[in-house]
Amino acid sequence: MAILVVVLGAWEWLTGIKAISRTPGLYWIDPFFISRPSAIARRFVYLASGDVRLSLWQMALSTVQSTLWGFVVGVSTGFVAGLLLGRNDRLARVLEPYIIAFNSLPRIALVPLVTMIFGFGLLAKVVLAWTIVFFIVFFNTFQGARSVDADLIHAARFLGAGERQIVRTVIVPSALAWTFAALTPSISFALIGVVVGELLGGESGGGLGYLITQSLGTLNAADMMVALVSLAAIGIVMALGIKQVERRLLRWRPEYRAERA
Amino acid sequence: MDRASFEALEGEFVAIVGPSGCGKSTILNMIGGLVTPTAGDVRIDGAPVSGAAPRTVGYVFQKDTVFPWRTVARNIALGLEYRGVTGPERDRRVREAVALAGLEGFEEAFPATLSGGMRQRVALMRTLVVDPEILLMDEPFGALDTHTKLTLHAELLALWEARHQTVVFVTHDLSEAITLADRIVVMTRRPGRVKMVHEVKLERPRDVIRVRESDEYAREYGRIWHVLGEEFAGRVP
Repeated sequence: MAILVVVLGAWEWLTGIKAISRTPGLYWIDPFFISRPSAIARRFVYLASGDVRLSLWQMALSTVQSTLWGFVVGVSTGFVAGLLLGRNDRLARVLEPYIIAFNSLPRIALVPLVTMIFGFGLLAKVVLAWTIVFFIVFFNTFQGARSVDADLIHAARFLGAGERQIVRTVIVPSALAWTFAALTPSISFALIGVVVGELLGGESGGGLGYLITQSLGTLNAADMMVALVSLAAIGIVMALGIKQVERRLLRWRPEYRAERA
Repeated sequence: MDRASFEALEGEFVAIVGPSGCGKSTILNMIGGLVTPTAGDVRIDGAPVSGAAPRTVGYVFQKDTVFPWRTVARNIALGLEYRGVTGPERDRRVREAVALAGLEGFEEAFPATLSGGMRQRVALMRTLVVDPEILLMDEPFGALDTHTKLTLHAELLALWEARHQTVVFVTHDLSEAITLADRIVVMTRRPGRVKMVHEVKLERPRDVIRVRESDEYAREYGRIWHVLGEEFAGRVP
């Protein structure tokens, strides 16, 4: 907290010093580029008010909504695919090169294509988040499904389990443990995917990414800072929330117990 | 393994002892249907065992196979769940098993918070709750300290006295075998054969502590140890 106060204070003070005292507008550190905390706060209040056409709340809501959708869709499809391929060696061998190729593709390169196909709206952003989240969850679940302890399967079989019961009570829970461990990074990457989509998406996509490009167009550093601070706040809140969910789901693991203590 | 042949009678407690790597566990896996013998066969009540595990057989592994993501009660309920036993009937049987194992108060605990002895108790009760006719045990107490081991011996014997399942118990601990078993199958070094089948003539019910102090126990121990010692020393008969 003290660090925050010092940084904000220094920022406000340094950007107020003029380089040459009598020439107006020439600053030692120019607030034109990095703005000032006071200016940012003013813009924040203004953008959050009802006086603007697209308020900060609407943009944040759009970003959060797309992120959560991308997260949910990405996690569920990644889990199913990881489980299927993890338990089916032949399928995994056949599909592996394609998966690796697609995953090594820089996701940002897909943005124009996704925009062409899905337009500028919510759907395009969800798809972008999905392309990232899917692979994180997929690889984790795949690993989890492969590393199911064979002794647990034997034990289940001796307790009278049929093949489907083994899948339900041994393989799915083992794989889920790995899937859950990927949730926290997934939500952060979902946010990245969404913002990248918004940077290109224009006004119809809305969102905080749009505020950033708009501010670049008008050379308004204060608005850009408002967007960045909001994004950071959203990112932290979502990551903490998911972390809680993850901890609850994996409470049987000793390392999660220790953390709580 | 080579020409290993022995029988376990119904309701009998048979222990298999022998040096490491002689195929003790393999025998259990064959009885359980995990491994198919390359020659010969395994018969239960005259019917050969093939493929999947017969439903009348329970298996307690050496390794900890308690499901870490299930609580104690839900681990014990597994076999009942698989058999479609649900509702009050399942709850009642789980409660009974928890009480028998002395795990009251730990029903909702996750295995990671339990000691090794308690986890092995859960594994044992999980197997017994579905009432198997044949119980296969592969060094189930191998990783436990002596004190816990003796406690579990006493508990196992009490449970066995109550229902008289046929037990095949693999161990490398001779005193464990003598304490528990009616008959002991002594295996040779690799390639494992049956070297001797020894009848333990100690009275039942046995007190796991007192039995060890008796003269009969010392005699039994001496005789088998002598035979087993030849195997450990490396002299092939």
